[in-house]
Amino acid sequence: MENNCSNAFIRLNSLTRTYLQGERQQRVLDSVCGEIQRGETVALLGRSGCGKSTLLNLIGGIDQPDEGDIFINGTCINQMDEHGRTLFRRRHIGFIYQFFNLIPTLTVIENLLLPLELNGYDLTEGQRRSMTLLEQVGLSQREASYPDQLSGGEQQRVAVVRALVHRPAVVLADEPTGNLDAESGQQVLELLDQLVRDEQCTLIMVTHSQAIAAKADRVFNLRQGRLVTSEDLV
Amino acid sequence: MRGSSSLLSIHSSLLWRASLRHLSRHPWQMVLSTLGIALGVAVVVAVDLANESARRAFDLSMETVTGQTTHQIVAGPTGLDEQLYVTLRRSGRLPVSAPVVEGHLAYGEETLQLLGIDPFAESRFRDLLSHVPAEGEEGLLQRLLTQPGAVVMSRERMEGFGLSVGQPFELWSSGQRRQAVLAGYFEPPPEQKAVLRDLLVADISTAQELLGRMGQLSRIDLILPDVDAERLDAIKSLLPAGNMLISAASRGLAMQEMTRAFSVNLTAMSLLALVVGLFLIYNTLSFSVLQRRELMGQLRVLGATPADLFRLVLGEGLLIGSLGTLLGLLLGILLAEELVQLVTQTINDLYFVLTVREFLLTPMGIIKGLLLGVGGSLLAVVVPASEAALSPPRSVQNRSGVERGAQRLLQPFAWSGVVLLIAAAVLLLLSDSLLFGFIALFVLVLGFSLLTPLWVSLICRYCAPVFGRLFGSLGRMAVGGVQASLSRTGVAIAALSIAVATTVGVGVMVGSFRVSVQQWLESSLQADIFISPDAPSGTGHEAALAPAVLQIIEQLPEVAGIRQSRPVEIQSGDEITHLTALRLAAESYAGVQFLEGTPETVWPMFDREQAVIISEPYAYHHELHAGDTLELETNRGRQPFKIAGVFRDYETEQGVVKMRMPLYQHYWGDKSVYSTWLYLQPGVDVDAMLDKLHRLVGDQQALRIRASKTLREASIRTFDRTFAITHVLRLLVIGVAFVGILSALMALQLEKARELAVLRAMGFTPRQVWGLVTAQTGFMGLVSGLLALPLGLVLAAVLVFVVNRRAFGWSMDVVVPGMVLLDAMLLALVAALLAGLYPAWRMSQTAPAQALREE
Repeated sequence: MENNCSNAFIRLNSLTRTYLQGERQQRVLDSVCGEIQRGETVALLGRSGCGKSTLLNLIGGIDQPDEGDIFINGTCINQMDEHGRTLFRRRHIGFIYQFFNLIPTLTVIENLLLPLELNGYDLTEGQRRSMTLLEQVGLSQREASYPDQLSGGEQQRVAVVRALVHRPAVVLADEPTGNLDAESGQQVLELLDQLVRDEQCTLIMVTHSQAIAAKADRVFNLRQGRLVTSEDLV
Repeated sequence: MRGSSSLLSIHSSLLWRASLRHLSRHPWQMVLSTLGIALGVAVVVAVDLANESARRAFDLSMETVTGQTTHQIVAGPTGLDEQLYVTLRRSGRLPVSAPVVEGHLAYGEETLQLLGIDPFAESRFRDLLSHVPAEGEEGLLQRLLTQPGAVVMSRERMEGFGLSVGQPFELWSSGQRRQAVLAGYFEPPPEQKAVLRDLLVADISTAQELLGRMGQLSRIDLILPDVDAERLDAIKSLLPAGNMLISAASRGLAMQEMTRAFSVNLTAMSLLALVVGLFLIYNTLSFSVLQRRELMGQLRVLGATPADLFRLVLGEGLLIGSLGTLLGLLLGILLAEELVQLVTQTINDLYFVLTVREFLLTPMGIIKGLLLGVGGSLLAVVVPASEAALSPPRSVQNRSGVERGAQRLLQPFAWSGVVLLIAAAVLLLLSDSLLFGFIALFVLVLGFSLLTPLWVSLICRYCAPVFGRLFGSLGRMAVGGVQASLSRTGVAIAALSIAVATTVGVGVMVGSFRVSVQQWLESSLQADIFISPDAPSGTGHEAALAPAVLQIIEQLPEVAGIRQSRPVEIQSGDEITHLTALRLAAESYAGVQFLEGTPETVWPMFDREQAVIISEPYAYHHELHAGDTLELETNRGRQPFKIAGVFRDYETEQGVVKMRMPLYQHYWGDKSVYSTWLYLQPGVDVDAMLDKLHRLVGDQQALRIRASKTLREASIRTFDRTFAITHVLRLLVIGVAFVGILSALMALQLEKARELAVLRAMGFTPRQVWGLVTAQTGFMGLVSGLLALPLGLVLAAVLVFVVNRRAFGWSMDVVVPGMVLLDAMLLALVAALLAGLYPAWRMSQTAPAQALREE
């Protein structure tokens, strides 16, 4: 499962993923290749339904490619079994979604502690870290609130902190500002950018916005199932 | 930052906290499913405790009256000659022994058991007199031996009757007044209080006088510490013909065997209530998982393993199951207190005198309830827990994936259902056992429930256009909604169908039985007047009409014909045979309906040869037919009797053997007559005759003199009272199903909150939303009712032709009253509509913006 022939932190090797749509096979990803370095911020662009979220799910280990391999820090995650992928995801990946997806029955602080608890971290220290991060995103006063007591922008800020609280190597963000107004979206992006750089995480962010993409280190475009990088475009 | 390994435990406290909060945020869901389990468990526990209490009361009562006795010498209906005891004692070959006279007496409306003993021989056997308090002991023995009518009773009864020591009082035996004196009282220890409460103890000669059995003993009790065949044979060789040596336990076993089928039926009915309760917990937790699919997906994305989620949902099931079970245990105990009275009443009506003053809370009853409730809940939750755990994260997030999955499972489920139905049929055909009959019944119900979703899907497909034409878009949406949420609606409809089918099955069975009994009563009770001693219920074989009364009756000029009967119990080994000696009037012959043999062949044989006729249950249980030979233990030794015919009879489920009176008198030497039927001359007024009989008999004997019409009505009342317990259980099953459908509908409608909010946003009025929800629930009720009818009729057929036959040996004509079917449809419809009221109101009141935001 180890691969040392490349220095890339994430390496996508001829990924293919096909879905059955009605009676028809739809090839969403067609031999996708690419490399992402540690600490790099990558924007993933593409039309609706072109497979951006599918690619994110494959990298996050919540979906499996039909063909090809995904290496993260030299580990081929698609060769792992379901349990292995779950443990890998739990430890190394952080997710941020368009619709926040906070656990509605847990308070803000409990939402942040959940990944730590699943990873078996010391919760006293975890609570300190969570509070520090909440202060950084300006929500230290809302720790006891439930998600439905927060605004959309606040929920997404909590979601950002949750994705980073257990110090994952990779953060995957699926249109994190898609459900926010421009001002809240901007705030969330700035926080995300700052936290990712502070924590030295690799960020892959799906977006429709060229403006957001422009702030990334590199931009990937998904077109007709294939990945086109900004270097290719140059 | 790594912490202790215990935190790696998949029982994440935060996951569990999230889960608990989800449950607490949906209190109605939690309450309904808890209630469903509670009701199911309560019924099982109550029935079990009631059965167990009756059994324990019987055991204790047997233990008290048998004491240390290991064996008994018994005889036929006339009992043992008391001289036998003297002869045996004088022979020196008898071990430790004690004579006993036993019978029942009435004090007002109360039935008391009288035990006549020899106080000197008694101490080795029973310690009844040791319960007499010190202050009452003085002179007691002397009073018992010398004072006529001297009896000892429990202090509770003495105070209850307002009697005091030395006070004379009246008792009634076989309708005849007896004078008794209270010689003393005993205070039994707490564990024997209930058993000894209704016991009278007297010296043997006093008991003989009070019961009118001069010179007779009921039995001789023996203590044989080392039993060997040689010793038993030696004792047997001393006994005259017709006297038997049996083990003390065998009589108890024979009597308990009588109530076995009754207990089994009750238990099966209670298990059915639990099955419906389990459907409910499956439904609730399945919905609970469905409701949180996105959340589950999120947890999977965050790194929760399938095992985490499986255990989480299993934990919820365990929590709800445990809460429901605990509540059910409490409810069951309360219910048992009521149920034990019904069970006792039925046993007294049908079998023998049994006093169960209180129910016994046995650990086994509680453990059974716990295992069934918690174990059943865990079993019911395995499917939804697997549903949550086994799907990969991506499809966990996909809400419609569940319904697609459900649609894909329709055919495999249906095929499994067909396989189970075939298995049920094979079980029914291959085995004659009652247990297999019940197992087949449950397999049948399970098979049917697996077929339900496919039926619902098909009905929806064909009904949608019809409803569309009748009610427009609303109608189409109502039916479409049922089809679209088949994983939920299918289960709810199956649960309601089973409950309603149970009422149809039991209703048709009881209805058919009632009609058959009515027809049988009409044909067998053709005489005008029935006369019997006023004896307590269940003691008919002990009572007899006084000779003076018989003489009065025989001299009445208004009487055209007399039919007399003497029912007795004959013990042969471990079995008690109910034998009725008959003297038939010319008019009586036509009232007997033969199932084997014809009147032309049977009656001549019955009247002239050494022959008997046997009832259908007796023939079934003993695998006997017309033409076979039956051997009975008589006072002249074991004798063969030819079976002339098999007749229809619903009097006892153990069955009865009938013999002409002279033949009985020849073999048992018993001239007693218990009841007399009078056929009056044409034109004689029955009421005037009743008055005349009362006048003529006067106070010679307390009698029950009734017109046949009154007796038929009383018999039907007894029948209805016997089935009262069935009605109670049916109501409980419906109650559980109602809670189930309410829970399912709440779940369904809340799941559709967003869809309904969109409709509201589009301009649907709250009234229209209310109409839509009501139409949908009404449709579900209708489908449940429709599906319940065939299942109900099949259940009825199994109950009538298999369960009833195997348990009681009765055959009957199946009568399907249209009202039962109509009632079932209405019940399903009303239950569904009622259950839909609250969800409909709630959905129509929800602000669309809130529903959309919540989603």
